[in-house]
Amino acid sequence: MAGKKEFDSALPDKQRAVLICQGTSCTSGKSDQIRTALEQEIARAQLSNINIETTGCHGFCQEGPTVIIEPEGTFYTHVKAEDAEEIVNSHLMKGNPVERLFYHDPTTGEPVANYSDIDFFKKQTRLVLRNCGHINPERIEDSIKAGGYEALKKAILKMSPEQVIEEVRHSGLRGRGGGGYSTGDKWQVCRNAPGREKYIICNDRNTLEGDPHMLIEGMTIAAYAIGANEGFISFRAESPLSFKRLNNAIEQAEQHGFLGNGILGSDFNFSLQVKEGIGDFVCGEETALIATLEGERGTPRPKPPYPAESGLWGKPTIVNNVKTLASIPTIIGDAAKWHAIGTEKSRGTAIFSLTGKVANNGLIEVPLNMPLRDIIFGIGGGIPNGKKLKAVHIGGPSGGFLPPSALDQPIDYEALESAGSIMGSGVIVVLDEDSCIVDTAKFFLSSTQLDSCGKCIQCRWGLKQMVDILEDITSGKGQLDDINLLIEIGEGVQAGSLCGLGKTAPNPVLSSIRYFRKEYETHIKKAHCPAAVCKGLVKAPCSHTCPAGVDVPRYLRMIAENRYDDAVAVIRERIPFPAVCGYICVHLCEAKCRRGEIDEPIAIRALKRFAADHSKKLPKGMEKIAPPSGKKVAVVGAGPAGLTAAYYLAKLGGHAVTIFEALPETGGMMRVGIPRYRLPKEVLDAEIDVIRNLGVEIRTNTRIESIDALREEGYDAVFLGLGAHEGSKMQIQGEDTQGVIDCVSFLRDVSLGKKVKLGDRVCVIGGGNAAIDASRTALRVGAKEVTIMYRRTQDEMPAAEEEIDEAVKEGVKIEYLVAPNKASRQNGHIDLECIRMELGKMDTSGRKRPEPVDGSEYTREFNAVIAAIGQKSHIPNDMGVATNKNGTLVADPDTLVTSREDTFAGGDVVSGPASVIEAIAAGRQAAISIDKYLGGNGVIDEILAPPEEIKGLPEDTGEEEEEGEKHRPNIPEMTLARRQKNFKLVELGLPEAKAIEEAKRCLKCDLETD
Amino acid sequence: MVVEAKQYKIETKSIDVGQVDRILASFRGTRDELIPILKRFQDTFGYLPEESMLRVASFLKMPESVVFGVASFYDQFKLVPTGRKVIKVCRGNACRVRGGKKILKEVEKILGIKPGESTPDLEYALETVACLGSCSLAPTMVANKETLGRMTPEKVDDIIEHNK
Repeated sequence: MAGKKEFDSALPDKQRAVLICQGTSCTSGKSDQIRTALEQEIARAQLSNINIETTGCHGFCQEGPTVIIEPEGTFYTHVKAEDAEEIVNSHLMKGNPVERLFYHDPTTGEPVANYSDIDFFKKQTRLVLRNCGHINPERIEDSIKAGGYEALKKAILKMSPEQVIEEVRHSGLRGRGGGGYSTGDKWQVCRNAPGREKYIICNDRNTLEGDPHMLIEGMTIAAYAIGANEGFISFRAESPLSFKRLNNAIEQAEQHGFLGNGILGSDFNFSLQVKEGIGDFVCGEETALIATLEGERGTPRPKPPYPAESGLWGKPTIVNNVKTLASIPTIIGDAAKWHAIGTEKSRGTAIFSLTGKVANNGLIEVPLNMPLRDIIFGIGGGIPNGKKLKAVHIGGPSGGFLPPSALDQPIDYEALESAGSIMGSGVIVVLDEDSCIVDTAKFFLSSTQLDSCGKCIQCRWGLKQMVDILEDITSGKGQLDDINLLIEIGEGVQAGSLCGLGKTAPNPVLSSIRYFRKEYETHIKKAHCPAAVCKGLVKAPCSHTCPAGVDVPRYLRMIAENRYDDAVAVIRERIPFPAVCGYICVHLCEAKCRRGEIDEPIAIRALKRFAADHSKKLPKGMEKIAPPSGKKVAVVGAGPAGLTAAYYLAKLGGHAVTIFEALPETGGMMRVGIPRYRLPKEVLDAEIDVIRNLGVEIRTNTRIESIDALREEGYDAVFLGLGAHEGSKMQIQGEDTQGVIDCVSFLRDVSLGKKVKLGDRVCVIGGGNAAIDASRTALRVGAKEVTIMYRRTQDEMPAAEEEIDEAVKEGVKIEYLVAPNKASRQNGHIDLECIRMELGKMDTSGRKRPEPVDGSEYTREFNAVIAAIGQKSHIPNDMGVATNKNGTLVADPDTLVTSREDTFAGGDVVSGPASVIEAIAAGRQAAISIDKYLGGNGVIDEILAPPEEIKGLPEDTGEEEEEGEKHRPNIPEMTLARRQKNFKLVELGLPEAKAIEEAKRCLKCDLETD
Repeated sequence: MVVEAKQYKIETKSIDVGQVDRILASFRGTRDELIPILKRFQDTFGYLPEESMLRVASFLKMPESVVFGVASFYDQFKLVPTGRKVIKVCRGNACRVRGGKKILKEVEKILGIKPGESTPDLEYALETVACLGSCSLAPTMVANKETLGRMTPEKVDDIIEHNK
């Protein structure tokens, strides 16, 4: 037994200490060299009374190798041996901590000096892991000093085995491995089972490397309670180092009398052995694990009999997970603390491995009633790179997906089960918008399918069938029935499998269908993977993400070869507005560009503009024009959707198309929404002229009120591309005050050349692109001071960052966290009462909801207030088509047919305000559907560019490729002075050499073959 | 000679039987020792030679079919010679641009083998994969089931050294 003397010789409190993490991960980051370097520097500086200590894993491996300086608790991250000198000279000698090695808060970007101030640690409740990272796992004295083996003393010296079992049962502890069965009940069955030989087995996967004694103590107490004299830790060594450490810990425990014969002077004997585990996930199942220990194939056995009655070699056996057993010392030693945490049914803490698209990855311990939101956004620090949360997957390969709406679920057993997930192995994987649900489900299922032992046919073949079906779906060969088939097989596997693997393996698929069925349908119906992940569907993520499917890599290659006419031809194969999109496209493609994961996404939009600016004419002889069909189509609205539909209907369908436009000019929002300084009139006119030249008639100043009237005029089909040209109201008092206008009308009036007088001081309300356009336009029509008010913060602002930057450069002021309250007219100006906002709880998308701060009202004076908070469509009452509650038109998402079979609709009037490229895509779909409706084949694909000589990827052709990071070029723009009070084009376009260089940065994902 | 038994291939080449017997001599001969014994064979030969499986069957007094059943069940037992530790180098686009080829060349140089081959001592097998999906960590490789990111040729040296 440990002598009292040894306790005292351990570290005195508050002494200067340097703690170096030597967990597996930090060790692979050379923490041993860091230790040596620190020792040398400390010796060289002749510092005394500094303890250099080695600790186990903190669970925050992503920041490793880590070093902690006590007593202040400074937490150094990503430490290298070279940093030792600065740590010693600056921190230990002069008391100036080395800020560059601090952890940086992922939300604020601010450095955080102390361990205890980092959310990742601060927001956890560490009972089981309390010593991890603070003691040297290789020294039992450290553990003893931290209270180790006190619970064992209490159990053996003061409690009967029955009392121990009762305490465990009372604690509500349930198996942390998967099933969630009451640990106390299980132990009781084993204790009651006849026979003298009993066993306890721990199923470990390296969780407690930082504090092995917590596990040894828990196991010994368990053995005492059930009456076992022999125990095994089935250990799947991730590294030989941790295997050695565990054996070393057992040896020390034996030397201190915590293991062996006559433990703590009692007559209780217990020996513990580490068995290097074998096999895969299925061997986590208790009966399968027992089979492997007996030297058999690791297949499960039918239950009952339960191992607690007949397990290893037919003897009563308890198999518990490492996290379950490591909870025992706390439950026995400090029951009150345990009981204060968690829910009635799920008490105490649970250990999770938090990973995926979350800022802080690591091993965490939290109360069982903690909502997922607090785990992901609190401890985890949210989703990195401004991406949105898509789903959370809990429970390891056989766990289930939860949607963002489940964020307020506590992570207890009941809540998880009712949501279709399980505690399982306690892995929380966070998925962001760039993750494909179907692909992720396939990934998990493929791994469990490989681990199926093959004993039960449902699991053996059912999982295989499910993987095959998912393979079909993710490669464009899926059928709609497949979804129901997956459910049917999945439920069959669950019902017909003996063990936990089969019973839970279908979870990822079943739960993802439950919450993300639409994504499955999109894969099947449209051969489209919204996250641009599925390899069988996605040639290049940029083209796949483009709503109109423009073949980006192909035209970039042509730009790189100075073939600008051909490049534009490639773009024109999918859209009739190559130049317009080159100037103003919202470039969804760039967000998914794979190059962005290396350095920066390709400047696709700017290159498109470059090609359009430098192209002279389309390649000859490629264009085909269909012969007249004899059918007439009416298109209502000359915006991007209507013009695109008209273009394809006339060109490839041969139909006679008339476009009716209510405004005096063509182009829709391209003309009256987007200011001229972004899209010059001539560029738009030229592309609309191409459509006119196909014989499309455009009647401006012509408002259409009824479809029936059009049919009577002889039109065979109608397309409604009405757009969304009405500004939404702010719903504040005094909204009708003179000088309070809406953004849509304002931009339209300016575009159409009306005289608009705003006065000197203008306020724009809103945070979208329209608000930015309005603010910059206001400056150009003479406003001296323009202020944008937005109710959230800059991080939440939906406007494009580059647009915001330009507005600020031009002098626009942006005030965040403020909203208008009421407007009134006073002595020739507007009094705008505003109220301060604060960000409250997050909504389901993970965005924080703004809430007004009581009593924070204040009043500002303006000459004009422009509301840019949204826009909606105006649909005439007698149009004769059904509308949705939100004021959009009802249209089938696949065919765009409205409530009338002769009428189709697309663009903003169906989707609500969106982008030009999305309207163009809708125009394409409408042309396909209308052509089919009129008896055509609905084919609008065309080849306009001469065929490419595909040389293949550089690695195949031997072509030299520049390696290393390269950045996007800056796009030249007009000086601020020359932008004053005019609508001259701001962005000047890439110079040729830069454009070619940029085009060559493309990774040519489309040429990759597997 | 490699014999195919259904989808299993077994290496029947003769081996140093004395080595097998020396390993067996360090065990008691109880049934539960089967897996530890097979592991020792695997560590020694890099795979489970046919002869070793026959000998362990008679040593433990169990049918050869049961030994084969256990040996073929677990992924980590190999029935034909393959490198024990598998190195996979990613040849995806992102890795390529960040110098993935240098990583592959370095591994090839150190181990003296090409992708698809194993070292003569059966310590390492080398493979390439299309994309590991960890593009943000490019260039990447997998050594002994562990995914390693931001690789450099120097790191390759360390890792292979570390694993030896």
